[in-house]
Amino acid sequence: MTIRNTLQDHGQRYRPRMASLKKSEKVLLEMQDPKTGLKSQPQRLVITTIPHAITGEDIIAWLADRFQVDTQEARSFGSMLVALGYIYPLQDHKRLVIKPDASLYRFQTPYFWPTQQLPVEDTDYAIYLAKRNIRKKGILEMHEQEHYNRLHKWMNHKWDFIVMQAKEQYRAAKERKKPDRVVFDCQERAYWVVHRPPPGTVSAMDYGLDRQIDPNSDEAVTPDFYERIMIFTQQSIMRPRVKSSVSIGALVKYCATYNNHDPFLSNCLPSNPWITDDVTFWTLNMPCVEIPTKMRVERWTFSFAELLSDTRGRDDFRLFLKKEFSGENLAFWEACEDLKWGKAASIKEKAEHIYKTFLARGAPRWINIDGKTMEVTVKGLKHPHRYVLDPAQTHIYMLMKKDSYGRYQKSPVFKDTVKKAICPDEHHFSGAQLEQNYKKRRPSLSPIILRQMEQEQRAKMAANIDITQLCLFTTPVPHLAVYSGFTDYPTATASPSLTFLAHTPACPSPISVALDSTSVSERQVEEAEGDGNPAARAPVGGNVSKSRMALSLRRLLKGGCTPATMFASLSPKCHLAAGTSSRIQPISPDQPSQAPPRRIGNFFQIKVDIPPECRIYPIESEDEEEESRAAFRGGVGAKEIICPWESLTTQNGTG
Amino acid sequence: MPLINNKVGDDGTVGKDKALVDGKALVDSLIKVVACYRVLATCVGGCTDSLQLRDELRQTREKAQRLAMAIRSHLTSHLRDKSLPEEQRKEMEILWVGFSSSLELLHVDMCKVFNMGDIFSLSKKETRVQNGLQGGGSEVAARALSVPDLNQPQSTSLPAEFESHERSTMEKDISQLDHMIDDMEMKVNVLRWMVEPHGPQYPDPLSSTDSASLLSVDEEQPGHQPLHQRRKLFVLLLLVAVVLVGATLSICIVFFS
Repeated sequence: MTIRNTLQDHGQRYRPRMASLKKSEKVLLEMQDPKTGLKSQPQRLVITTIPHAITGEDIIAWLADRFQVDTQEARSFGSMLVALGYIYPLQDHKRLVIKPDASLYRFQTPYFWPTQQLPVEDTDYAIYLAKRNIRKKGILEMHEQEHYNRLHKWMNHKWDFIVMQAKEQYRAAKERKKPDRVVFDCQERAYWVVHRPPPGTVSAMDYGLDRQIDPNSDEAVTPDFYERIMIFTQQSIMRPRVKSSVSIGALVKYCATYNNHDPFLSNCLPSNPWITDDVTFWTLNMPCVEIPTKMRVERWTFSFAELLSDTRGRDDFRLFLKKEFSGENLAFWEACEDLKWGKAASIKEKAEHIYKTFLARGAPRWINIDGKTMEVTVKGLKHPHRYVLDPAQTHIYMLMKKDSYGRYQKSPVFKDTVKKAICPDEHHFSGAQLEQNYKKRRPSLSPIILRQMEQEQRAKMAANIDITQLCLFTTPVPHLAVYSGFTDYPTATASPSLTFLAHTPACPSPISVALDSTSVSERQVEEAEGDGNPAARAPVGGNVSKSRMALSLRRLLKGGCTPATMFASLSPKCHLAAGTSSRIQPISPDQPSQAPPRRIGNFFQIKVDIPPECRIYPIESEDEEEESRAAFRGGVGAKEIICPWESLTTQNGTG
Repeated sequence: MPLINNKVGDDGTVGKDKALVDGKALVDSLIKVVACYRVLATCVGGCTDSLQLRDELRQTREKAQRLAMAIRSHLTSHLRDKSLPEEQRKEMEILWVGFSSSLELLHVDMCKVFNMGDIFSLSKKETRVQNGLQGGGSEVAARALSVPDLNQPQSTSLPAEFESHERSTMEKDISQLDHMIDDMEMKVNVLRWMVEPHGPQYPDPLSSTDSASLLSVDEEQPGHQPLHQRRKLFVLLLLVAVVLVGATLSICIVFFS
């Protein structure tokens, strides 16, 4: 007959059985045998002697003999017994390991043996801490103090009881003789070191997740029970099956590939931090380290997913793509990941941003996905949710994997990285050094700081993008299609006007108007400056156009913009300025919209239908957006971007 | 007449106070018995485990159960009394919480002792764990049973008989306790989060220095033990030498003056 679990386990959690406990108990009992068990010696203290102390080396020797294993394994086994709480050390009681020397240990009394049926109660812990406080005030350590305060808060209603019980237990224990009192104190202390370990140590009683159902209980046989069995069997039949040769082959391949990279299965260079407490391995493999290790670089060659999941690998890949001018693929993929894993509140704006940056026609970092996927994605963006960009993301991922990944592995960037990768030497720590390492352990950087660093890096990267990558691969704007002359990029010369004049013999008015306006406005400006304020209108117009001019020129000279953009920016404004200034030849307002949709079909192998109404200009610099937006809205009556959203976005306001 | 009225009023409140005081005494003794039971239970399975210890455990347990029954009837009757004034009710609730917690502790200890009885049967003497204890728990049991000394005649029954009988009784008792706990929760509705204890967060130290604590501190550095002893010897010798020198000097002074 089993006695059901005692106190009402309101969480209804069932602890997975730790088979090691029953087995350890058997071993412990064998150790007690007077003939074949361990020999004990008395422990001499100042005032008294306490019997039944055993040395570490004796334990290890007995275990090695009994189980016919070597000393190293016997030592690990002994450490496990100590960690579980069946044997406790008399010196250095907080470190639950077996030392193979003359340090003393003692067997724990069966009352304090670990069991799983009876969970370790916080009430008992509170009583124990209170008892220690009774014995000597202020003896509690930091973490114990914290526990005590927390328990006082959560078990406040029981506190009278706890204090009383602590006092009574203390008095009852005092009835005994001194050596027994000492032993009892040591036993209790050892018990709580196992079950409430000090911070920085791991409890051997960690067993993972609790189970939802009690495996010992009998399940009631109801129609529901049979229903469940039926559903389970039906699903098993329908499950797609793989030949075992295939699946086993995959497992074997995985194991063979990753065998050398597993820190526990094979040697970890320089040394395994979990074993030797030396963190060089972790510092060498930090996410944003300059020079990666050879093993890490080797892992990047296993699969594309490995490369992308490792931050350093991704950085390397990004560098390679930058050199190849296809960085937008990776940027798009990262943006999709960000959308998928980010906050729900920001989904809408992130989706908008991604559309504007990557997917819209004429977007600055336009990615090349097939028409059907684009259609599906754009339709989905009307009501954006987390996974709306999944098809597009998968397409780009496969593109990168099939195309760029292979080239990356043959590229000089990667070869350079491989050459520079370091291979650290193995550490050989002596016993004393290991002890020192243990003492020198420190907690790592707080996750808050790590997250801040990550965010800073991301912001820095985002800032970098605008300057270098922008406008490199813009879709050509239709009515500026006449400029077939942008073959070489992006070196904007100081005198764009001359270049373009040469190329456009039969060019219609926009260009000449723009040029005229440039020269005219410049002259205007000069005049205005010279005269002071000749007329109200002219300077206004002049100022307006001057500022725009200056800005456009500035952008041009920055080198980040194509000449086309400058003119693009100028032309629509011209007819605004035309309203104010009489000197500039007015363009008919409809002209831009009527500009022939010259198909510049083979520009950069982009085959995209650009509708004539499309007036998306490449992203301009941020400073002008505000003033231009208002101005532009008044002017342009043509249809704006075909975009899933209702509202006009800043995209329409050309710089 | 006013006197009579007062008397009646006083009787009422005195009666209630008496109930409270009684209840408190009962709960205190239950707490004491439970504490003693726990201390005794830690000896089970060790080298001092014997028929006597088990007998003492049995007696302590029986006393605890008697107390539990008494308290249960006492407290349930009072807490179900609707006319109880507020502060008294609060006190009663504190007692109730103490009572239920003691019962829970007792239940756990009984289960543990029962399980240990499986492994460490009295008949098999070899399977005792050498846990370093030397004395039995007679003094603790004496404290539990509130007798100055526990002079028990040796039990005449055989260990095996005793054990089997004990096991069956224990099983019954444990399930009975289980039911009692369940029952109590059903009958009396005490809102635990409303109970506010009186006592301080830290119990007052009962003794400022305790030799046991010194002992456990000493255990920490056994390597230093011989050093301490050597140091002590050295200091002692030094003192003796100084005393001798002083004595010689004084004798010289006396001699030569």
